[in-house]
Amino acid sequence: MSITWVRQMVLFFLLVLLQVWLFNKIHIGGYATPLVYIYFIIKLPVEMNRSLVLVLSSLLGLCIDLFTYTLGMNMLATVIAGFMRAYFLKLFAPKDIFESYSPSFSTFGTGMFLRYAGLMILLHQVVLFVTESFSLFEPTLLILRIVGSYVLTIFLIYIFEKMRYERFKS
Amino acid sequence: MRNLIQFILKNIHWLLFSLLLFFSILLIVNNSRFQRSKYLAVAQEVTGSLYSVSSKVEAHMNLKNKNFDLLKRIAELENTVYAYERQLELLRDTNNTKKIEIDPIHSLIYTFIPAKVVYNNVSRQENYITLNKGSNDGIEIDMGVISSTGIVGVTIAVSPHFSLVISVLNSKFHLSCKVKNNDYSGPLVWDGKDPRYTYLQELPRHVNYEINDTVITSGYSAIFPAGLPVGKVVDSRKQKNDDYTSLKIELFTNFHTLTEALIVRNIYREEQLNLQKKVNL
Repeated sequence: MSITWVRQMVLFFLLVLLQVWLFNKIHIGGYATPLVYIYFIIKLPVEMNRSLVLVLSSLLGLCIDLFTYTLGMNMLATVIAGFMRAYFLKLFAPKDIFESYSPSFSTFGTGMFLRYAGLMILLHQVVLFVTESFSLFEPTLLILRIVGSYVLTIFLIYIFEKMRYERFKS
Repeated sequence: MRNLIQFILKNIHWLLFSLLLFFSILLIVNNSRFQRSKYLAVAQEVTGSLYSVSSKVEAHMNLKNKNFDLLKRIAELENTVYAYERQLELLRDTNNTKKIEIDPIHSLIYTFIPAKVVYNNVSRQENYITLNKGSNDGIEIDMGVISSTGIVGVTIAVSPHFSLVISVLNSKFHLSCKVKNNDYSGPLVWDGKDPRYTYLQELPRHVNYEINDTVITSGYSAIFPAGLPVGKVVDSRKQKNDDYTSLKIELFTNFHTLTEALIVRNIYREEQLNLQKKVNL
């Protein structure tokens, strides 16, 4: 139990630092910025208490907000994504495993995991970019930003997961 | 009764969700300038030192480009110095009796404080920059910030060791600028798309301009001195109501590689503000 906790905390800080030091500086074509910190919420153990998931999600969003000086925007997106997670899991999680486990290629299967992660990422980015566009509304720009960032984020998360999976197999 | 308690415990996450949702919306909506700058001052002290580490690494990787820029700038300055010396000699020769008098007040109104950029972002629609000088170094809110090539932004919050700058690349940033050749002025507003270009808006339709005309600050506010370079005209487009045109401006400042900046301090700013306050009373 304690080892999974340490692992989650390391993942939390690693993702926050990666996001603010590296990924926030990428913006391909001025539109696509990868938002990989959502990977933390995706990877939380399936059986985790829903209230705990909410608290951790809001903390993650707040951390990113502190670094990017955007009051509450990332927090709103992560809270909503963290809340909807349980419903997405009901759709995609396999029913025949009874131990505690994290969503991954090996437990879910590649297709199901990508569908689950894809829905989480999409929800998170739509909420975030729509909130951001309240200060300057331009529909084409908004859609370009969501699509560009979505493709980039899911690509990166696929690579993360693939790397872990290869290591797990060997 | 027991059933009720069990029901509430079972659905406690709904309550928590609504609470967190409310709190984050409160943070977004509660956007008054005072509270924002208070919050940002605290956030900067925490994050500023972390960003200092990453910006040091970045500055190292950028040294080659920076050196080249500086050399270019030195060459330019040397050229102007040479030109002025020639002029001075010429004036001395032709007019030995007259002395050249420079108005001492002009050079005394503004002082410039150098600072390093510790955080900078161009990917959002509201971009901010953090500098490593704060109230301990005499920085206050509403001071202009420039780079060696053009303007950068205006300070909006200060903590003891850091200051937060609203970038030109922020949809909330408005600054009065003018076209150098004809003195028509209008607000400079960014459209949130390309960090290389911004727009000079609300110019009358009959305004004469040419591609590559220089755009400079108008100096109507006490923040920037007049005549600082901003960018050059590359294109124009009609605004929605047809009475105005707006010019597409290519910024002189390269926000992608910004590592150093100067903060502009207007010595007579307080005097000017006090005078304006008196009139309001």
